[in-house]
Amino acid sequence: MPKITIDGKELEFKEGQTVIEVASENGIYIPHFCWHPELSISGNCRMCLTEIEKIPKLAIACSTYATDGMVVKTQSESVVKAREAVMEFILINHPLDCPICDEAGECKLQDYAFRYSRGESRMLEEKQHKPKRVPLGPRVMYDAERCIMCSRCIRFADEVAKNPQLTFIQRGDRTFVSVFPDEEFDDPYSMNTVDICPVGALTSRDFRFKSRVWEMSNTPSVCIGCSRGCNVNVWVRDNVIQRLTPRENPDVNKYWMCDFGRTKTFKFVNAETRVDGPFIKENNELVKSNWEEALNLTAKRLKKFKPDETAFVASAFATVEDNHSFALLAKLLNAKYYSYFSYVIPGSGDDILITEDKAPNALGAELVKFKANGVSNDLDEIFEKIKLGEIKAVYILEQAHDFDSYMLDALAKAEFVAVHATNFNRLTEFADVVFPASSFAEKHGSFLNVDGILQRIKPAVATVELDRALDGLAQSRWDKFGTKFDRWAQGKKYDAEPSWKIISALAAKLGKPFNFSTSEEVLIDLTSKNSAFRNLDYNEIGGTGIKIIERKFSEEEKI
Amino acid sequence: MAFQFTEENLKRIEKARQKYPTSLAAVMDACYIGQEQNGFISDEVVEEIARVLEIPKTDVLGVVTFYTMFHTKKMGKYHIQVCTNVSCMLRGGYEIFDAVKEKLKIDNMEVTSDGKFSLEEVECMGACGGAPMIAVNSDYYENMTKEKVLEILDSLQ
Amino acid sequence: MEKIILPDIPDLNKLDVYIANGGFQAAKKALQMEPSEVIDIVKKSSLRGRGGAGFFTGLKWSFMPKVKTKPHYLCVNGDESEPGSFKDRQIFEKNPHQLIEGIIIAAHAIQAQTVYIYIRGEYYRWIQMLQAALDENYERGHLGEKMKQTFNTDFYCDVYIHRGAGAYICGEESALMNSIEGKRGYPRVKPPFPAQNGLWGNPTTINNVETITNVPKIIANGWEWFASIGAPKHPGTLLFGVSGHVNKPGVYELPTGTLLTDIIYNYAGGVPGNKKIKCVIPGGSSMPPLRGDQLEGIKMDADSLREAGSAIGTGGIMVMDEDTNLLDVLVRISHFYHHESCGQCTPCREGTGWMEKILRRIQSGQGTSKDLDLLVDVASNIEGRTVCALGDAAAWPVKFMITRFRDEFEKYVKKEVVIPVKNKIHSMKYTTYSVENIKLPESTKP
Repeated sequence: MPKITIDGKELEFKEGQTVIEVASENGIYIPHFCWHPELSISGNCRMCLTEIEKIPKLAIACSTYATDGMVVKTQSESVVKAREAVMEFILINHPLDCPICDEAGECKLQDYAFRYSRGESRMLEEKQHKPKRVPLGPRVMYDAERCIMCSRCIRFADEVAKNPQLTFIQRGDRTFVSVFPDEEFDDPYSMNTVDICPVGALTSRDFRFKSRVWEMSNTPSVCIGCSRGCNVNVWVRDNVIQRLTPRENPDVNKYWMCDFGRTKTFKFVNAETRVDGPFIKENNELVKSNWEEALNLTAKRLKKFKPDETAFVASAFATVEDNHSFALLAKLLNAKYYSYFSYVIPGSGDDILITEDKAPNALGAELVKFKANGVSNDLDEIFEKIKLGEIKAVYILEQAHDFDSYMLDALAKAEFVAVHATNFNRLTEFADVVFPASSFAEKHGSFLNVDGILQRIKPAVATVELDRALDGLAQSRWDKFGTKFDRWAQGKKYDAEPSWKIISALAAKLGKPFNFSTSEEVLIDLTSKNSAFRNLDYNEIGGTGIKIIERKFSEEEKI
Repeated sequence: MAFQFTEENLKRIEKARQKYPTSLAAVMDACYIGQEQNGFISDEVVEEIARVLEIPKTDVLGVVTFYTMFHTKKMGKYHIQVCTNVSCMLRGGYEIFDAVKEKLKIDNMEVTSDGKFSLEEVECMGACGGAPMIAVNSDYYENMTKEKVLEILDSLQ
Repeated sequence: MEKIILPDIPDLNKLDVYIANGGFQAAKKALQMEPSEVIDIVKKSSLRGRGGAGFFTGLKWSFMPKVKTKPHYLCVNGDESEPGSFKDRQIFEKNPHQLIEGIIIAAHAIQAQTVYIYIRGEYYRWIQMLQAALDENYERGHLGEKMKQTFNTDFYCDVYIHRGAGAYICGEESALMNSIEGKRGYPRVKPPFPAQNGLWGNPTTINNVETITNVPKIIANGWEWFASIGAPKHPGTLLFGVSGHVNKPGVYELPTGTLLTDIIYNYAGGVPGNKKIKCVIPGGSSMPPLRGDQLEGIKMDADSLREAGSAIGTGGIMVMDEDTNLLDVLVRISHFYHHESCGQCTPCREGTGWMEKILRRIQSGQGTSKDLDLLVDVASNIEGRTVCALGDAAAWPVKFMITRFRDEFEKYVKKEVVIPVKNKIHSMKYTTYSVENIKLPESTKP
């Protein structure tokens, strides 16, 4: 294998790798603005200048291909000086508005100003003025004065989103980024430009001025917007989710996620409609109850029905663990009917990330479902039987999407309906008992994505049962140091529990406890029962998931 | 009424397109033709070029705003371009520029109220041997003096 | 002496006259040779590019792939936008057929079947002239498929004019290619070099108009003949464009190595009013300026000028007499590069504007000699750090004008001044001026 020496370290590389790629693979950081591993090389920011033996001028590491025997210095005096000069040039026309800039705290330019700049400016003149607060589109705001013309956003639109809605206008130091007049940057992936913008030029209109980034905790998780299962970070302040950002995973979503996932999949967690504590139906109205009462009532009612009068409707919106314990409960009651609800919108997918299946765990729900002998698991058939009064008790796991009206009509005929729900919706209106389910952001668990990759979610928001510090949730500075007299350290906690835990408690009430104390134990139970899950635990799944099912895809279906 | 290329101009664009393996490459020719037909390159012209060449509008817009000879606002019937770059400056380019300014009562990149003249201080036009020089639309006038320039302006109707 | 590019033959721009004077004999000869033979002759002639960098033309051609797997392209650079340079226009006007013949030979040598002549948009009249010349040659079967018959060869090529639209940067070869492709004129990061990855990703060679026009004579008269003209390491003639403070400005075709003073005083008629020369820029405005009192003995060829601390560039000689205000000149030059910077890469985009702002402040009487140091430092920070050579082109005049004429520039600045700064809040802690010195101006316009 050919070798290159960077800062005195001899490193092996693959033919066709650039200096910056070899360096970053080996933990040598070369500062850069315009280079991005998933975008074409532009070479315009000049921040990655390095000294390379036998090349007379400083060369940019992003476009220089490694060759055998090449000797690169990233810390020599001339490199340091060149970087300082580049930083000075970028900063002379960059507004000093970090105190009101959303990017502050996660800004490359700000970090580099600290690390690679002289900390002074010799520019006495008026800065260049350009358009500010330009709504480029419904979700992205642009500030041309902050922009350093790295062209990452334009390249993203062209190359990844395949939707060239952005261009540079004018030239020289008058250049700025724009859409076509009277049009909008409304690409379904537009907000990724906010992430890859190395400065505060592009900001999220959804998140703008909501929080300083250092006031939030950040928890690795998975988006529930569709079956792709894009890896995300969940950003929380005051126990409220402020935003989602994509988390790198080369096998799933690379560096990206769609705008829908980013803006529409977390607001229910703190919505007014949230189910806060168990509810039971009295006089045709759901009233707040308590866990003991709700569990006792449910156990008592379920026992009354025969197995062929009982149906279990699992969910593609719930975790593998929730579905597995749900299946265990169905088995315990020997229920004859078991199916799961999934939500597919044909034609709604694209060839980038978005899939037609709008639930995060359809494959998982399919894989762990309980199979009663010789009975159809067809959902339509189950609801037909409910309508006919043959099935009398229906137990429904978390459903993030409303059932079709024919299903709801059928439920009206059922004698007993128990529902796990995060939020009140049309379905809960038909419930005799509503158990408050923890949302994806409030529990541990795993989802099996469209490609058969099992991925973990982690609690980011504390519920009554979770203590942020003691239960190991991510903590922001305010979480760590704020006292209860600090406004920001407060935040509502909902009385909700993960479904597997509710089911376990119910099993105990039915006299056959499952003995699960963590969701990982539910998964480990599954390892011995389903070969797809063999030898798994949460550690094994890791931060970026593990492929447990091999599926074949046509070329178009791949990202 | 949205801008549309004339039949003849569509043919010219098609001919330009034949010069290149991609239609994008014909964008500058199309911009010239659009500017000629419309007087300047409006957003509508940009859209029409994008439609005719089957390329993104943003690509056309980026090109139009990069090159200084494409005008996105209406210029005068006679676009007076005065070079003030070094060779012309050394031989009185600025005096000529000021004289034109004064005569037409307009500043750089402005148009007279009757729409007849517009003025542009241009960079080197490659006629340094005939400095100072001006150009009126596409025609060069070299070895100019203040008097000669004013005479030329008077002669333009 | 014999002129290669612009011989004194009346009506040479007419095809019949050109043919009567031996036109297209070189093409006939070259088309019977192997491409490698042609390249070899040009290599041996030591012909160097006339567009500014002075790279060896034959060597450049030899970088093209020998085995053709993709289309090859030839671009002829007639963007001619370097201030002080106005030579290619003469060729379009006076000797277009020799350019076309050169194109045929060069295209054959690098096996390019498509040729684009990039001409700046302002040269509309000359584009028309050259297009007429091309049309005529198409009719005569010198271009296009008919070439095969005319020249009894398998090779043919098509030649198109691509009209620029007002961007100095498109004279840079990779920006020129982007411009031909219909994109913004951004220079490309090199490597990859055009010979591997040029127009639409295909092998491409870019040559200056004057360079190509030399080729037919080299083929016709042999490389030995060409190599014997002028300076041995940079042979041939150059079209020297003399402008500024001379009695007879214009283009003079002279052998390389001709004395600069000879060109100014003998050919261009000396300085009006017999004034002394303060400054000469020898190769177009981006080249380092020379002091008027140090012109003796400077020869006009690439190596001699490099020794003298400048460069041959495009051979555009700008003469400034003793009464010239060099600050005004430098402001104008800086304004030009600021105006023409494409804005793609950081040092040039930001630095050119900054330098102009500092110079304008000095011009308004509010500069100190520390500003001169700052200018030199800013220029040095641009130099060599950009995607293309425009960064150097913008930096050199500032750097060398100030260092070589420091005495003069010191006269334009003061020891202490009150700096009008609008954005006072901008970090002043470590600048050369103490915060107390800064008063807000009446007018915010510097």
